[in-house]
Amino acid sequence: MSKFDERIKSELEQQTRADVHDLKEDIWNEVNVELFEGKKTIIKRRKRWMPAMLIAAAALVIAFTLQSKSGMALIKGIKDMFVPEKEIIQSIEGQDEPTEVYLNEGKDSEYIIYVDESRYKMIKGEDADIITTIEPLPEKYPEVSMEIKQYPTDKPETLVKELEEKLKVGFPDLRAVEIVSEPIEGFWLHGLTESTWDGKVIDVYVMSNGKDGSFVITEKYFLEAAEGHGARFHHMLQSFKIIE
Amino acid sequence: MQEKWVRKIRAGDQAAFRQFYEAYAGTAIRTASAITRNREMAKDAVQETFIRVYRQIGSYNPTLPFDPWFYRILTNECLRLLKRESPLLNIDSIENEPSLAEKSFEQLTELYDIIQALDDSIRIPLILKYSKGFSEKEIADILGLNQNTVKSRLFKGRKRLKEQLQSIREEDLS
Repeated sequence: MSKFDERIKSELEQQTRADVHDLKEDIWNEVNVELFEGKKTIIKRRKRWMPAMLIAAAALVIAFTLQSKSGMALIKGIKDMFVPEKEIIQSIEGQDEPTEVYLNEGKDSEYIIYVDESRYKMIKGEDADIITTIEPLPEKYPEVSMEIKQYPTDKPETLVKELEEKLKVGFPDLRAVEIVSEPIEGFWLHGLTESTWDGKVIDVYVMSNGKDGSFVITEKYFLEAAEGHGARFHHMLQSFKIIE
Repeated sequence: MQEKWVRKIRAGDQAAFRQFYEAYAGTAIRTASAITRNREMAKDAVQETFIRVYRQIGSYNPTLPFDPWFYRILTNECLRLLKRESPLLNIDSIENEPSLAEKSFEQLTELYDIIQALDDSIRIPLILKYSKGFSEKEIADILGLNQNTVKSRLFKGRKRLKEQLQSIREEDLS
């Protein structure tokens, strides 16, 4: 570093030093109240309860109504319990981005997920559903998709081990399995082929389907898109709910 | 260490978050203070940044460097506040800002004032480079710019600083 560089660095440090001294404790107090001790935390917890209660109610009603043919007609009403569209604020590359997301049902109405339909579409398949970009990306870009697949008879603990072994072939530096609570509660596998802009990234989440099986969500994107598509998949997956 | 903090913060570990705050707050405050040129705004920006980091740590990709992610949030928050306050940000509010107004004219250093008088497109990359020591690539990542653009702006910035200092010296001598 040249003398001139050192002078610039030193000037910036000197001119802002007092602010650090004056603000550091105040800021921590505010952050602490907001995150750990304040009213907002309580409100947030209450808010989290509401969807959980609605889902539980929906699951109960579905369980009863599926017993009869006439009950089937009520399923539409159950789906109506979830708002068809809503605005969420998602953080993309550090910027808050208001986004309209739309309710989508998975295969056989076994789950719901809110999809950012301004960018992605949901393709329903025989075995799995795939959320991918509306327009296919040019060939130079690796695949960008989020696949949701149910394994009715495989428990998450067993399945995650099998998937780990399989993924190690294409992702030699696959990270060890982690247990996560965000964006869903379950196991998380993460791999990257190489640290170039187009290095392939894979995130696999394995969660219980509430019975004897699992849901496996596989996100594929590339390194440069980690905080774009990767972050958007993360936000969409946060809305994933199983309808038992 | 960062990896450990990230993992613990993800798990909601408050003690780890406090340690992380202690390690990151100083430079974050300095950077925000230099970018916003306003102590209250810097306080709001740093506060909001730490709250967002705690709540949105799940969206951080651990395979990428942490500091550019953190400073992208901080810089965007500073810019958002500057933009929001810009209709009100007149000479009066700047003069009332403690870190500038409380100093006598003699105390105001030439170089800092010249940096702060630069256009934001040059001023902010310079602050990121000299406050935190970010590389051109990291600054490009933080600001969403091409690396060559950052290189060129840093070059222009240093050149202008030297020219301005030279011209002040010449005025003093004449």
